[in-house]
Amino acid sequence: MTDIPPNKAQRALHLHRELDRVWADDPGLRGFFTSVNHGTIGLRFMATAFVFFAIGGVLAMLIRAQLATRKGAFLDSELYNQVFTMHGSIMMFLFAIPLLEGLALWLLPKILGARDMAFPRLSALGYFCYLFGGTTIVLSLVFGVAPDGGWFMYVPLSDKVHTPGVNADVWLLGVTFVEISAMAAAVEITVTILRCRAAHMPLTRMPLMAWYLLGTAAMMLIGFPPLILGSILLELQRAFDWPFFDVSRGGDPLLWQHLFWLFGHPEVYIIFLPAAGALSTIIPVLSRTTILGYGAIVAAILGLVFLSFGLWVHHMFTVGIPHMALAFFSAASALVAVPTAVQIFAWIGTMYGGQVQFRLPMLYIMGFFGTFVLGGLTGVMLAMVPFNWQAHDTAFVTAHLHYVLVGGFVFPMLAAVTWWMPMISGRWRISGLGETAFWLIFIGFHGTFLIMHLTGLLGMPRRVDAYPGNPEWEIPNLISSVFGMVQAMGFALFAFDMVMQWLFGRRSWRNPWHAPTLDWAMPLPAPSYNFASLPTPLHGDANAVLPLAKGQGLLPGAPRGHRETLVVDAASGRPDHVAVLARSTALPVWTAVAIGSFFGLMLAGLYWLAPLGIVATLVMVWRWGAIMGVERDLPPIDVAPGLNLPPHFHKRQTLAYTGCIAFLVADGTVFASLLFAVGFLSVIAPEWPAPGAGYRAVPMLFATAAALLSSAFVVYAARRAEGCRGAPDAAIWTRAGLCASVLALICMCGLAAGLDDPRRHSRDALRAALLGYAAVHGIVATMLALRADRDARTNRLGAERRGAIPAWRLFHQFWLTVTATGVGIVLAQEVL
Amino acid sequence: MAWMVRALAGPVLWATLFSGVYALHGLGCARGWQQQPVLWGDLHHMALWALWGAGLAGHVMLVRTMPCDQGIRRWLIVAGAWIGLVSSAFTLFPVTILSTCL
Amino acid sequence: MATGAGLITAFVLAMLWGAIRGAPRKASFRVWIVGWGLVFTMTVLGVLLASALWTGERIIARGDSVVRVQAHASRYKWDFVQPAPGGWPVTTRNVLYVPAGQPFEVEIRSSDVIHSFWVPRLGGKMDAIPGHVNLHRLQADRPGEYAGQSAEFSGPGYRKMRFTLIAYDPANPPSALIDAPAEKALP
Repeated sequence: MTDIPPNKAQRALHLHRELDRVWADDPGLRGFFTSVNHGTIGLRFMATAFVFFAIGGVLAMLIRAQLATRKGAFLDSELYNQVFTMHGSIMMFLFAIPLLEGLALWLLPKILGARDMAFPRLSALGYFCYLFGGTTIVLSLVFGVAPDGGWFMYVPLSDKVHTPGVNADVWLLGVTFVEISAMAAAVEITVTILRCRAAHMPLTRMPLMAWYLLGTAAMMLIGFPPLILGSILLELQRAFDWPFFDVSRGGDPLLWQHLFWLFGHPEVYIIFLPAAGALSTIIPVLSRTTILGYGAIVAAILGLVFLSFGLWVHHMFTVGIPHMALAFFSAASALVAVPTAVQIFAWIGTMYGGQVQFRLPMLYIMGFFGTFVLGGLTGVMLAMVPFNWQAHDTAFVTAHLHYVLVGGFVFPMLAAVTWWMPMISGRWRISGLGETAFWLIFIGFHGTFLIMHLTGLLGMPRRVDAYPGNPEWEIPNLISSVFGMVQAMGFALFAFDMVMQWLFGRRSWRNPWHAPTLDWAMPLPAPSYNFASLPTPLHGDANAVLPLAKGQGLLPGAPRGHRETLVVDAASGRPDHVAVLARSTALPVWTAVAIGSFFGLMLAGLYWLAPLGIVATLVMVWRWGAIMGVERDLPPIDVAPGLNLPPHFHKRQTLAYTGCIAFLVADGTVFASLLFAVGFLSVIAPEWPAPGAGYRAVPMLFATAAALLSSAFVVYAARRAEGCRGAPDAAIWTRAGLCASVLALICMCGLAAGLDDPRRHSRDALRAALLGYAAVHGIVATMLALRADRDARTNRLGAERRGAIPAWRLFHQFWLTVTATGVGIVLAQEVL
Repeated sequence: MAWMVRALAGPVLWATLFSGVYALHGLGCARGWQQQPVLWGDLHHMALWALWGAGLAGHVMLVRTMPCDQGIRRWLIVAGAWIGLVSSAFTLFPVTILSTCL
Repeated sequence: MATGAGLITAFVLAMLWGAIRGAPRKASFRVWIVGWGLVFTMTVLGVLLASALWTGERIIARGDSVVRVQAHASRYKWDFVQPAPGGWPVTTRNVLYVPAGQPFEVEIRSSDVIHSFWVPRLGGKMDAIPGHVNLHRLQADRPGEYAGQSAEFSGPGYRKMRFTLIAYDPANPPSALIDAPAEKALP
């Protein structure tokens, strides 16, 4: 069943020209704004991330210069607070996450045997959101209004009373803007791994990197929503005085900590998993063997993905939570070390079973071991409540987190960059530079941070700008500062080495590391379309370079002039259909500008103009749908002799549909986080129960019932519309659904008008937030209804062509569910 | 995809049980359950034990259900079930002894 | 614990050293994954966790101590209320008096942002959170002066938020407490 006959061999050069015409970016500056190709976007993500890394690094140097002496006369307090807040925020949100996104976007299609990611335009949109948001955050430093409350932005310090300026808004709005790119990447990575693998590559035989990235993406889908919700709630409090975190009106500052760390701890593993994926990819190749315990590593990933969501409270051990609750999280924090240890010993065992070659990436891997193991063990120490109470918020924690993040992320990522650099640049490195850079970084790092454990145990808290009364902290700090500069030189040399390799390295030959994975089954540097023909079980590893280049795999060339890639069944990898992907377009950058206009207006405090930004975004989003359908049936596509597959317009289970499901998982987590906020505040916060509801119950109930009923009717209408999609009746049902959808929205506006003032008490604010959540989804669902109606009227529906109807149904059912749940919550509050 | 659901069942049950026990713990402290004697302990401990015990029973059932798959898929199903059981036992065993609301 | 962490790190690195040298050998799944990855790790973690929970259970505040003091944090100062030997409360700023040689409990409050009460030489820290009262149990074995500080970032004056804890010999209370005027009783 898995044997697919090869296509006829063609001239490789001819195929290359044909494909490159279709897949290459537009030339020049225009290409910068219109490219949607995963290779371009992925590299751009990584390059931008390294620029932000350099900026964050300069800030780190400022911190070290400030702390080198106890007087610390270098920066004043206000500026120092901005500097360390920005250092943390930049490294987390503008370096680590985007770097791994960039690596995933660039690498995944290559290692899975596809031509592009599932949603090329989404890659580009994510990139521009990241670029615009990140630039705004960094520019705030230039204007002296950077966030200054610490990178975890604890309230009340970051509320309007204690941070009256725009500083906290920059963080909340800027980071949320950047997180759009994280969510886009998470959806895309999930769908690409599940649906865009090589033909007949089952999940259970994927390269380990794909498992790691699947785990990462799943964690991002669940892990980021609490932060996004927390940021929205805090911004609502800052902008409109809705008291979610104000203790005098039924809010609680601890809610912020829970939401932040619900994101913040999984985040550490989100960062670690792709790095571990690089290790699992590189170690066996450079040990000339295969990985020990593939299944055990997959199980370890599974364990990590789940367990890492049970640790967040260990950042809150000192907030006064009862000891038993602390014990749960302490135990989970200890247990999470087990899957990590399984991987570490699997890697050591792999090296034990093979013959290790000390090439440059291996040096960085040794750097990883020498750093991460100690970081993990200090992590286990910090997981123990009594020790945590002592070391919490001291330099010991700073040292620990740098050991974990630099050891567990930066060293493996540097290994990955040196590993894939020949494929990126097509060139081999200049020997000597890389080794020197490694030793400078390694020695600099340990010189800086090993002694910082001691500084912390001597009692130095983090985030102080000077320590005039504590001369005993001066020597260790000075040592840290000196080695910090050594480390900075190492990173500078690393960057220099990369530039040198790009410009002056000799041409690399194919597959220089003799790696088995598909990413090396292509000429170097990687072409815009990756594979001239797509891999099959017959051509399943790096040895298949020539047959694939000669078009003997699936879907050779681009004879129809479209960007086509193969879509498979999620579990088995059976070829299902051919996806026609978007070509270069400026739509993503304009959409990012539209979204950015909303964030910009919010930041400027022009709240009454901000809806314009939303309208602009909706207009742009509407245009995304324009190319997602066809007006006539298309013939099936020849994939291989005897294998014809339909284009995706004729299928229900498209990439977009799978993407909708992945998106709704994240969206549902936002809603779940909101429900958590309702539960947490009503149980834990002081100043509850809330004052009695002031609205008139009967009209509110009437409006609610009308909204729910008309919404339920939409579900029915959409089903009917899909059922008769080939017939003229479809247009009647889509129009009926659209009208009912609008009616439901109008009812919700009525509800909004009748609500109690959200500024009165957090309960009323939470109700307004629930209604707002429902209304936002109502607008999107109505947009989809409108799209479906247009599809019905412009001949985009047919016997096999369903237009936007499946997505509409899915989204509308989600809307109905969350609305009904929200109504249930409010009723329960009123009755109980 | 059925095997993936089976492999995820254990960890999902852990996640549910973990959130459930944590929520019940918070609720109990807020309502003062630790001061109401029930049977041979207080209401709070009893409620937590009951929930934990029920969850562990579910885990044991998952572990004992033999997977009918083979190869790595089978291995992942077995591993998932055990990951769930061990996680629930290890992370929630503090309910057995520790004082609840101090 | 720190020694243990150091030893395990050294041990793992030694193991790594052994692994990267020498010719290819047969690597056994049972030894590496099951033996080291699961059994070794779970044992260490189990023992460590049990002892930590035991310690934690002993040091948590139970609200039953003889001496109860109040710490009230606000940007950037600490106000303390402590009982004088005669029983009436005495209010001080940035200085806290407690009797040595017996456990005392601190009620920690904040009136603006989050702070954290920490006397490094006596033990762990506990946050001061608006709207909540946290109880923290400590003991100074010997009379003397102990430096204390806030350990949660609170804004530009954060580093100045220090205080002194003075543990006195119960038989010989300091004059600051004895001479203080009588106020209304502790709640």
